[in-house]
Amino acid sequence: MESGDEEDVEKHRIHLRPVTLRSAPSVTLHLLPCEVGVNRPAPVGRFFTPAIRQGPDGLEVSFRGRRLRGEEVEVPPGLLGYVMAMEEKSLGKQDFPGGSDSDEQELVEPPEALERDFDRFMGASASFQRFTLWGLETVPGPDAKVRAALTWPSLAQAIHAQVPQD
Amino acid sequence: MDLGELERDNTGRCRLNSPVPAVCRKEPCVLGVDEAGRGPVLGPMVYAICYCPMSRLADLEALKVADSKTLSESERDRLFAKMEEDGDFVGWALDVLSPNLISTSMLGRVKYNLNSLSHDTAAGLVQYALDQGVNVAQVFVDTVGMPETYQERLQQRFPGIEVTVKAKADALYPVVSAASICAKVARDQAVKNWQFVEKLQDLDTDYGSGYPNDPKTKAWLRKNVEPVFGFPQFVRFSWRTAQSILEKEAEGVTWEDLPTGDQEGQGRITSYFNEKPGNRPHLPHRYFQERGLESATTL
Repeated sequence: MESGDEEDVEKHRIHLRPVTLRSAPSVTLHLLPCEVGVNRPAPVGRFFTPAIRQGPDGLEVSFRGRRLRGEEVEVPPGLLGYVMAMEEKSLGKQDFPGGSDSDEQELVEPPEALERDFDRFMGASASFQRFTLWGLETVPGPDAKVRAALTWPSLAQAIHAQVPQD
Repeated sequence: MDLGELERDNTGRCRLNSPVPAVCRKEPCVLGVDEAGRGPVLGPMVYAICYCPMSRLADLEALKVADSKTLSESERDRLFAKMEEDGDFVGWALDVLSPNLISTSMLGRVKYNLNSLSHDTAAGLVQYALDQGVNVAQVFVDTVGMPETYQERLQQRFPGIEVTVKAKADALYPVVSAASICAKVARDQAVKNWQFVEKLQDLDTDYGSGYPNDPKTKAWLRKNVEPVFGFPQFVRFSWRTAQSILEKEAEGVTWEDLPTGDQEGQGRITSYFNEKPGNRPHLPHRYFQERGLESATTL
């Protein structure tokens, strides 16, 4: 991604804080086959991680009394995964490690542009090179949606590349 | 009773057994099947078989075994110790089904209910005795569900054995009483020494009897709800008591196999004529839909 990448959708202008990409700490991620109706930290290390077992054919665990089967998924070579988070307006950039004032000159955005009320900032809170993909009772396997989604970056690169004129 | 194997990993099931007495391989034996911990919302369910030669049944009765529910904990422990002393003619085996196994079975995509789980476990233990070379001639089982259909199923599976399934078999047949003692001793010990898989701080183990109607058990469940993960695996998530506490006090979870309601179902046929142009949401290309990809304008 390029610095100052932005997109104007429904009166939102999204800015990426490039500095956060460099300093994002590596994390362990689990992608579950369910949605939890809340978005906040949870004691994964106390409740989930210790319950993971290496079964005869893959990883096993349970969540809320349901059996999950998992496998490691690698981020395609040459790419790095990021956990992105929106900055709360009031909290500002302190949300992100490395997003200190001294690095602000990295942002190639004129200062006056930052004052519009449809500007939103997001930054990376963590990075990853692999994650554990969990399926409900069965291993997600090669046909998993997420695996297919990971083919997008290479396709995107191909279709956005310059094509020689002749 | 050495439950070390269970304490090392209590997320699945675990079988324990006494050595098979040599005489049980030679002489025709009677075998009793019973269970402990079927009702509680906490801890494992334990299935047990106990067997001895028909010719030694009087010796087993002489131990004064009785329905485990009529005995105190110390009486059960004493009787189990006596059965161990009589290991030259009494044998037993257990199958400990962890609460996690019970939850995940009952909450599976294909529901595996507690009765079926119980029947299959009982049959599995009888089969285990046969595989060990026990000369099983008669089987007595304390019923789960309707005794007639249960008996028919077991009789079909073990045609060479005389199967009797009865309510209160644990009070009627000493060999079933003996099995009920084995099961109850194991269940009590497993609960008492439960190794929580989770790393819990200052866990209080004052959970009462574990039965859903015990106020102490209910209070413990309420106190130990974790909003995202629910409960420790020690709790049977499939129990109504556990589910209703989660509904009230934990975050909602939507699974991918949720039975689809008709929120997207067809409305009235006339709705096709009413639809205003411009109401249709602009859908991304199929490539993105199939991969669950959306552009992120907010997180």
